[in-house]
Amino acid sequence: MGEALTVSERTGLGIATVMARRGVDAAAIGAVLGCALPGGPGWRNGGDLSAIGTGPGTWLVMTETGSGDFAEDLTQRFRGLASVTDQSSAYAVFRLSGHDARTLLQRGVSIDLHPAAFAPGSAATSMISHIGVIFWQMDDAPTYEVAVFRSLAGSFRHWLDSVAATL
Amino acid sequence: MRLPCPYCGNRDAAEFVYRGDAAPRRPDGEAGMFDYVYLRDNRAGEMRELWYHAQGCRNWIVVTRDTVTHEIHGSELARDNKR
Ligand SMILES: [Zn+2]
Repeated sequence: MGEALTVSERTGLGIATVMARRGVDAAAIGAVLGCALPGGPGWRNGGDLSAIGTGPGTWLVMTETGSGDFAEDLTQRFRGLASVTDQSSAYAVFRLSGHDARTLLQRGVSIDLHPAAFAPGSAATSMISHIGVIFWQMDDAPTYEVAVFRSLAGSFRHWLDSVAATL
Repeated sequence: MRLPCPYCGNRDAAEFVYRGDAAPRRPDGEAGMFDYVYLRDNRAGEMRELWYHAQGCRNWIVVTRDTVTHEIHGSELARDNKR
């Protein structure tokens, strides 16, 4: 068994919101991205890209390979199919991993995180300590990532440290 | 109280903003505008109401709820409910 809990911040991510135009489905958007998209709230990883369903016809798309021209590039590729908004500087993304990660996250969200209800590939948009969050589970360690608005990252980290101290 | 969001699933009511009766439709002209803006039924029983999932998928939904028992009979995206 690995560490009980490791917390890190993901940096240098390219992040964008992709909103499908009326009548354009997840398959059409996924074909352009080259990554199968979740039809509902979910996380999918397709090589360079990962995508999180955040609402009907709406995804948060992320890449590890730099924030530079990511959103601009997507905007060009989705012309006529979807609207793209650059979020690279808008979200701070925290990674929580280890067997205490589920307990920690469960202290904050009123969504059932039991493995039977929330598994690798699951995602949700909700609130932790009055802070809007988007989070998803990546593996059985379990590893989660939590995206919060960057201006609230300090408040989120305060909640996280307070809860982690009680584990 | 928990509300079933068609996209997100069951969520705490604190994530939603209440808008009220989903029945009124905006009239084309001035006739009927007063009723549309101001008049609402005060129903005891089953009612279709608009809720906004502000802390979730940020979609408007229509929830069918019994105002006496708080029993919930279903929900749909408001965009699918347009006449
Ligand atoms: Zn929702």
